[in-house]
Amino acid sequence: MRSRSIFAFDVYILCATLALLTVGILFVYSSGLGSGGEPLSREYVRQIIWAVSGLIILVCLSFVQYKSLRPWVPYVYVAGLVLILFTLLFGRVVNGTRAWLGVGILGIQPSEFMKIAAIMVFAVYLERAGANIQRIPYLAAGSVLFLIPMAMILMQPDFGTASVFFPIYLGMCYMAGARVRHLVFVGASALLILVFTMLPAWEIYIHGSRIPAFAVFSNPRIKLLVLAGLGAVALVAMVGLLMLKRGYFYWIAYAMSILALSLGASLGARAAIRDYQLMRLVVFMNPYVDPRGAGWNVIQSVTAVGSGGIAGKGFLQGTQSHYQYLPEQSTDFIFSILAEEWGFAGTLLIFGLFLVILLRGLYIAGNARDSFAGFMASGIVAMIFTHFAVNVGMAIGVMPVAGVPLFLVSYGGSSMWTALAGIGILMSIYQHRYRY
Amino acid sequence: MSDSWNKNSIPKSRTIIFGALVTMLFLGYLGHLFSLQIVDGYLYSVRAENVKRRSTIIPAMRGEIFDRHYTVPLATNTNSFAVEINPALIARGEHRRVFEDTAALLGISVQEIERKIPQSVYHVYQQIEIRPAVPFETIVCLAENIHDYPGVSWVTKPVRTYPEAQVTAHLLGYVGDITPDELQVLYNRGYTARSVLGKSGIEQQYDELLQGQEGRSIRTVDAVGRRVADHNVQIVPPEPGHNLVLTVDRRIQQLAHDALGERIGSVVVLKPGTGEILAMVSYPSFDPNQLYGSGAASHFSRLRNDARAPFLNRAIQSSYPPASTFKILLTTAVLEEGLISTDDTLFAGPHYRLGNRIVNEWRPSGFGRINVLQALANSSNVFFATIGHDYLGTERLLSYTSEFGFGIQSGIDLPGERPGLVPTPEWKRRVFNSPWVGGDTVNVAIGQGFLSVTPLQLANMVALLVNDGVLYRPHVLKEVRDGHTGEVIERTQPEIIQTLSLKPQTSHAVRRAMRGVVRGGTAEPVITTPVVEVAGKTGTAEIGSQTDDWHSWFAAYGPYETQDPDEQVVVVVMVDAANDWEWWAPKAANLIFHGIFADLDFEETVADLRQRRRLWYM
Repeated sequence: MRSRSIFAFDVYILCATLALLTVGILFVYSSGLGSGGEPLSREYVRQIIWAVSGLIILVCLSFVQYKSLRPWVPYVYVAGLVLILFTLLFGRVVNGTRAWLGVGILGIQPSEFMKIAAIMVFAVYLERAGANIQRIPYLAAGSVLFLIPMAMILMQPDFGTASVFFPIYLGMCYMAGARVRHLVFVGASALLILVFTMLPAWEIYIHGSRIPAFAVFSNPRIKLLVLAGLGAVALVAMVGLLMLKRGYFYWIAYAMSILALSLGASLGARAAIRDYQLMRLVVFMNPYVDPRGAGWNVIQSVTAVGSGGIAGKGFLQGTQSHYQYLPEQSTDFIFSILAEEWGFAGTLLIFGLFLVILLRGLYIAGNARDSFAGFMASGIVAMIFTHFAVNVGMAIGVMPVAGVPLFLVSYGGSSMWTALAGIGILMSIYQHRYRY
Repeated sequence: MSDSWNKNSIPKSRTIIFGALVTMLFLGYLGHLFSLQIVDGYLYSVRAENVKRRSTIIPAMRGEIFDRHYTVPLATNTNSFAVEINPALIARGEHRRVFEDTAALLGISVQEIERKIPQSVYHVYQQIEIRPAVPFETIVCLAENIHDYPGVSWVTKPVRTYPEAQVTAHLLGYVGDITPDELQVLYNRGYTARSVLGKSGIEQQYDELLQGQEGRSIRTVDAVGRRVADHNVQIVPPEPGHNLVLTVDRRIQQLAHDALGERIGSVVVLKPGTGEILAMVSYPSFDPNQLYGSGAASHFSRLRNDARAPFLNRAIQSSYPPASTFKILLTTAVLEEGLISTDDTLFAGPHYRLGNRIVNEWRPSGFGRINVLQALANSSNVFFATIGHDYLGTERLLSYTSEFGFGIQSGIDLPGERPGLVPTPEWKRRVFNSPWVGGDTVNVAIGQGFLSVTPLQLANMVALLVNDGVLYRPHVLKEVRDGHTGEVIERTQPEIIQTLSLKPQTSHAVRRAMRGVVRGGTAEPVITTPVVEVAGKTGTAEIGSQTDDWHSWFAAYGPYETQDPDEQVVVVVMVDAANDWEWWAPKAANLIFHGIFADLDFEETVADLRQRRRLWYM
């Protein structure tokens, strides 16, 4: 048994983190400049404060034996839920979302920290479940741990933050050894719910004329009939499977259940989803449906990114951002500014730094001393990855607009602390990967 | 330390697959970024540039209009205040209150503002004009309380003003915002929905000369349309419209306006030697300054609904029977044809009878045997009925009528000129489906019946005789001058529109006859001016049969004989039968002639004539 100094940080992750923080502060500064180069906001000062305080959290967590966190996990989780509930009742409304707690300029978003809490509690659950995670009831029961915070965050309503929980759940289950077919079932259903909800809007806004077959999605009666049909086929297939034990019955039932489930759920989703959220999905498909409204962000962001070219317009020289064409530029669209001012070279740098953190994180997960640590590391990697994929995808127009920040780069204390806490835990796992 | 911990159970394969998925997404995104930034980068940078360049219109100053002396303008542009609202500067939820307050301040309805700024443009950073021509006091009030009016501002805006107001209204016309119908027609000639264009008179006739070219400033703006500090401002300066110099003499115009006074009718003063219009007045008139800005709409509809038709330029847009003034034409025709000479006499009894058409002499006893000069001087109906029917005959009479320019537009450079009407046998058959009879010829001969002429046509008739058969196109535009430098770009050359090969003695005899009207004839009592020898002809047109309403005409020129044709002027006054009868046309002409040749304004003219004890009728 080798012994190592607890000061042996994972240099790769640490360097990448520091680099990303620096880039983030630079572009939060850039985004705060007005058209004449005059500073319009002092967000970058606060960003520095949060980065420094976050780094302290990171260092502290990396020293802490992650094992000693474990007894606290249920309490942290419950405390997190209570905090979100409290936010839901008494929180401050910012941009139409009741997601903030706090006074004055110091506000926190408990929903951000909740991701870490959920990852930790689910890691405990997965460890307890062990190989049982391959069985559907265990998989389903575990999802409750995610569904509760997701539902509460959806009520704020913050679709973007809530949606991040879903890939974390899938990623952690996958790493814990859940059956791929189960995960594909869940993932495909979720995707189809989204698609089925969007299709009627697609028909109206983009295709422009009615397609008779689409009555399935818009006419509730036909929808119920189709649903009943699908359910019946699935049921017959299941009966066939039980009696004849033929493999293809399983896959028929599998496919039919996905279809029936998503169709049924899309019925409820359309009722729950708000019009502006639907419009976001529509403009994701074609931003020019509403170029000055919901499509504005996407168009301006893609224009900013595209106009950056190879080397960019130069730091602080971006026009899309400084002329206020980009909304939410220090948070949701910080990547667009970076891509505009530093061009393809800058995006390569950011991609590289994130890739280092993610792959290194997976390495840490694979080499963790125990399952709890491995699952936790997997969850943290999944979280950072999801944020990256959604935020950058949104900036380049391949993902719908959802208010998901780019970890370490976007302006914001809560997401900064969440990211740095997550990385701190990764560090701790790395440093304590050997048994003493 | 407890070893109850489960050993790490993460399969190596899953870590690798997870890592591969992550890497694939990164590569996919990078591929997309590559196509965005490098393959299509140029496209987006052009788009980013275009989005931010916005051009603003710099309106061109409309050309000014001057009288013939090119001193003080008759139509100019003065700065007035227009109140604007920029909806993007109003806080959310405040729009309604600001609109209400602004509407109350400007004295307009909230609906009017809401129509101009619908909810859909609340976020647009743009100045929207709410009201032009706002009084200075209102602007002061706004400025003092500007904090209560977020987003509300004002700009100075040139507004067309006419210092002479009513005096030049018909001549100059007025301007207004372009209507959708007008835009449809004028779009291809460079007009836009913002254009302000002339609606009548010179303003309409020469609108394209007056318009000028809009300028443009192209500069970078930010997302909400605010201007950005930018060194790359392209400015295409506006090109001001051309200045117009009219043939009109401001002093004579004013004089004619005052001489006509508040009597429905019109005055035309022109130079026979060139066709230049020196004055053109029509009453009732309107104030073109009130047709723009606050109260314009109600003022406009009030004028529209006025039964006396104030917008009508009676000098060219309405026609009347010429009555006895037409005897000038008959005199010319009969002498030119050599049917009688100035020495031949005809018997003019109390009546001229043709079938059941009876023309009464206005002097019940008749005139006895008189020559054509005496007949014109005394305006003998019987004499000229005889001349017209028995000597000239229908064909020659109508032929002369047409050759003198009646029944067709003279082609004056003002919109809406009427041709009047010269009845012909074909016309009568077409319109009334009845044959031409001798009575119709008699009616034309004495200037009654269907025959109708505009005051301008009558002035042309006189001008033609003054010029021995040559008629110049009457015109109002003298010069086009550059709006910047004042340099003459174009000068209207006199244009001959009719040449009648009259024998010199004919026109001379007719002029002598016209002089006889003033010296010893019907007009002698009223043409009292001693400063100029006037020659002319009165006319009294019956309208209806038994009423006491007559149009009063006077068509004249002066001086009678001159070495310098340039000093000669033709004056035609027409006073409508709607006025109380006071035989005002020759009286007004007397004042006008005296004013022109004594170089006096109206008050001075009146005072001067009174002093000379020659103004018995005022």
